[in-house]
Amino acid sequence: MEFKVASKILQANERIALENRRIFSDAGVYVINLMSSPGAGKTSLLETTIAGLKHALKIGVIEGDITGTDDAVRINRLGVPVVQINTGGACHLDANMINEVIPDLPLDELDLLVIENVGNLVCPAEFQVGEDMKVMVLSIAEGHDKPLKYPLMFQESAALIINKIDLSPFLDVDIDKIKKDSLSLNPSIKIFELSCKSGKGVDQWTSWLQTLTS
Amino acid sequence: MHEVSIAESLLKIAVDECKGNGYTKINNVKVCIGYASGVMPEALLFAFDALKSGTIASDATLTIEEVPVAGHCSSCSVDFETYEKFVLCCPQCGSSAYTLHAGRELDIKELEVA
Repeated sequence: MEFKVASKILQANERIALENRRIFSDAGVYVINLMSSPGAGKTSLLETTIAGLKHALKIGVIEGDITGTDDAVRINRLGVPVVQINTGGACHLDANMINEVIPDLPLDELDLLVIENVGNLVCPAEFQVGEDMKVMVLSIAEGHDKPLKYPLMFQESAALIINKIDLSPFLDVDIDKIKKDSLSLNPSIKIFELSCKSGKGVDQWTSWLQTLTS
Repeated sequence: MHEVSIAESLLKIAVDECKGNGYTKINNVKVCIGYASGVMPEALLFAFDALKSGTIASDATLTIEEVPVAGHCSSCSVDFETYEKFVLCCPQCGSSAYTLHAGRELDIKELEVA
């Protein structure tokens, strides 16, 4: 006996992601899924963004890591609500992990929630968690070959932050190639070049973020 | 990608569908996997075989139909189909003004049950 099913294999994740999205939108919170490889500067970008927007926006953070609370400790120092998820080995966050920690966040008090995904340039791009937008960080020290080697994340992201531009005098990296290849993968991707360390370029990013969340 | 999570998810859907329709055994599961879905068929087969034991799908086979990437270019108006995993530009004219309408599938299509 044969019968047709016609069902999406990842439907369980997508269903929970939609539910999360509804909860966030009912609470009036704009949600960013922040992704990058390990060490590209996601947490530094968060620290810089929070410092720049703290008085304009109420920001909350979910930190995703395989293990440890280092990132949550860093964010907690800035006086914004933060919840740490330890995936215990999983290389990405999924919608259910987010769903479980929603009660731990004061959603009604927030304007912006940033979900910092596990550092990984591949898997996080595959799983919706309930975000309004995916943003990725690429540090120039990773090399200009990354867009064409890891295309999915560049295709899925609404914005690309090219970080650590202060290192450019010391590196043989072609930033124009990063931009050109990212745009060929995703013609609508918005690109910001900045340095969390020197602060250069951060204003353009935070202003843009502010227009999205207002 | 995450062939083990995907195999878990597809086994759960198959088992629920089978039981929900009053059957007790799954003989075959047919899935459609897009070329650009990031899923490796060999890894999915391996994960499916590893996870199926002890379920009503313990003797089931997995049939994978691979779906090519297909799209339309608004610059040169061509409809294209390709077995490239990632499309970087229109294969005909090189423009980036294209949209894809197939190739990211990750769907269960059919169950053979008893």
